[in-house]
Amino acid sequence: MRVQLFATCLGDLVFPEAVADAEALLRGAGCDVRFPPGQTCCGQPAFNAGHRRAARRLARAFVRAFSHDEPVVCPSGSCAAMVAHRVPELAGCAPFEVWELSSFLDHLGAAPPARNEGVRIAYHSSCHLLRELGVDAAPRRLLARTGAELVDLRRPDLCCGFGGTFAVRQPEISVAMADDKLADGAQADVLATADPGCLMHLQARAARTGGVRVQHLASVLARGAV
Amino acid sequence: MSDLVETFAQNAAAAGFVVHRGVAPAIAGAGVSRALYGVASTGSVVLGASPDEPRSRHLLPEVHVALLREDALVADLAALFRAVGGALPSALAIVTGPSRSADIEQRLVVGVHGPREVHVVLEPR
Amino acid sequence: MSFRVLDERRLAATDAATLRLLAGRTGAWAAAGDAEALRERAHEIRMGVVDDIESHLDRFVAAVEAAGGRVHRCASAADARAAVARICVDAGARLAAKSKSMLSEEIGLNAALEAVGVDVVETDLGEYILQLAGEHPVHIITPAIEKTVEDVASLLSAVDGVPLEPRAEALAQAARRQLRQVFERADVGITGANFAVCESGSICLVTNEGNGGLVTSLPRVHVALLGMERLVPTLDDLAVLLQLLARSGTGQTLTTYTRLITGPRRAGEVDGPEELHVVVVDNGRSRIGSGPYREMLACIRCGACLNVCPVYRKAGGGAYGPVYSGPMGAVLVPLLQGLERERALPHASSLCGACTAACPVKIPLHELLLELRRDLVEHGVASRGERIAFGLWSLLWSRPFLYRVSTSLARRGRPLGALAGPGRAWAAGRELPELAGRRFRDRR
Repeated sequence: MRVQLFATCLGDLVFPEAVADAEALLRGAGCDVRFPPGQTCCGQPAFNAGHRRAARRLARAFVRAFSHDEPVVCPSGSCAAMVAHRVPELAGCAPFEVWELSSFLDHLGAAPPARNEGVRIAYHSSCHLLRELGVDAAPRRLLARTGAELVDLRRPDLCCGFGGTFAVRQPEISVAMADDKLADGAQADVLATADPGCLMHLQARAARTGGVRVQHLASVLARGAV
Repeated sequence: MSDLVETFAQNAAAAGFVVHRGVAPAIAGAGVSRALYGVASTGSVVLGASPDEPRSRHLLPEVHVALLREDALVADLAALFRAVGGALPSALAIVTGPSRSADIEQRLVVGVHGPREVHVVLEPR
Repeated sequence: MSFRVLDERRLAATDAATLRLLAGRTGAWAAAGDAEALRERAHEIRMGVVDDIESHLDRFVAAVEAAGGRVHRCASAADARAAVARICVDAGARLAAKSKSMLSEEIGLNAALEAVGVDVVETDLGEYILQLAGEHPVHIITPAIEKTVEDVASLLSAVDGVPLEPRAEALAQAARRQLRQVFERADVGITGANFAVCESGSICLVTNEGNGGLVTSLPRVHVALLGMERLVPTLDDLAVLLQLLARSGTGQTLTTYTRLITGPRRAGEVDGPEELHVVVVDNGRSRIGSGPYREMLACIRCGACLNVCPVYRKAGGGAYGPVYSGPMGAVLVPLLQGLERERALPHASSLCGACTAACPVKIPLHELLLELRRDLVEHGVASRGERIAFGLWSLLWSRPFLYRVSTSLARRGRPLGALAGPGRAWAAGRELPELAGRRFRDRR
């Protein structure tokens, strides 16, 4: 099965190991992974901030970089939702077959290695993945397959507070939301998330306050929670 | 029919009514009204303003008693409106329990501003 | 311009209240059977009205008049204030008892009545407490969410002139006593309208306390304030929406008192108002109704969106403004007051979508916020600096070669973001993330 890997800009620039983990998981599930070199960003930051012309430029660039003939897989719920629901309309093209990583792996029936035996892992349902793509069971199933002891968050419905430009327009609220999420996740050894935006925001806050360890879901699945 | 009565009785009790079968309680100072209808699905008593039924009778006293004939029960709100819709009184009150508020620190209190205790007497045909 | 987090005490109070209401709603929805079908039906009913407000309004007005009521259609808030003031003055009113009406807050009614010599007393317990404190409501359903029992004791004691015990039950009884006199002495009863039914000309009032009933049975005149969009065509439609309102707002099957008022008192009746005046208010609604944001007019003011909003629970209702708050406020207030004036509100959201999922009439709240953000940019309200920044960024990053160059220059382990602007806002509470030494694309 041939797939196109969309690293996302945050994946490419800030979390390349998580993207490498995503690629390894896809390979492990039997995929032939292609990395279209012309890829940059899905345009979500501009789109969510109301800058549609800027978002359109990036959407068109996405369409130039990716083929419609193979599924696009991406280790980000929000970017996958952007490509699925907004890019085709912005760029004026046919929809893509796009999958967030964990939903694709689950769809393939992937069995990542059991590297998380005895590790307590809480999963943060990032908003776009949960509400725009309707994906929530797949990441949990995959985590369970790695032997993890899944810990339920008390408020799994609450946003972590990233929200793109929201994080800098409403910094006090954004940080307070992160604190709640980190405190909730502290019941576990590791808080896993399938979105680089949530990851960056929560890790950045935890680095300041000494909160729970936050990791990308791909890394937790591929190499085990560290 | 008895299904409707049991459903009503259960829901009315859950809503905070003291439910009586057949015999009305004698409570000094209580307001007593004849209900037009009862709504089984919500456990509500329906009162209609008329020369015999002042609008405020079910609100002013601390204790209120509604007399409800079993054959005046309807299944739900839609059924109620079908029954009464053609001839609405000037004020139709669908009452579901005692007056309540949680406005002070989320603590539930009863009897602000209507009755703190409400009774419904089911009268069999 | 950014929201502050509430202080610890208010934060705890807001959290407890919204969680209680949310839990109630979740339970009530689960017990409701086919929730999705119910929401879809409710959406259709409300949008059917929103898409043709005028003809629904005409039917409603005719029915009210046939039932013996009078209708006053008011284009602006000022017109509405003047209409109510005139009704009160004509009635020789000195005291008005008010049952909760957000619309009355929106149009600034109380001050206008005080100015013509009418004392206005709020009778909804939460609104009464806030009126004594001189503050605005911060939540649709439970407006005094942030007040402690000690606050309330002190406010009510001041009215009585004797100290009251800071216990909810005792205070509620004191309020009952204080307000009973108001109900009995008031010349005019002023209410809002949760819904108005076109086919019968009925006003539907929903309360848990019963103050709506007292305010419309004892005073001689009843004034009902109605937003022009709050109509439902038939009683059948009303049944659908009533089920949703209580379930979504508080988790109850039905609010304690659901009251349908059709005209003033009739011959032979011993109480009830002699005059019923329905003041129908536009104040921007017809403008919104003919535009791309008209779905917002479907709102039934249930408060469900407030209870699920992660921003509301941190910032509290006051952060959004004096009348409407939470997600519905973030959409409605800029639409009513203008984007120029309320440019921050559409951005007071992380776009998590919980509000859209919770809305019983399926208003796509977070999508509307996105559209408002787009309007801010396209109508030149958004900062020029931001537009230039996004423009430049998109020009660079839409070309793979320029993306590579710009990101090569920016990395080498240096922290992301500048020392000013967004970078500084980020860094106030968080460590700046580091750009990786080697991008993913360099590793392949």
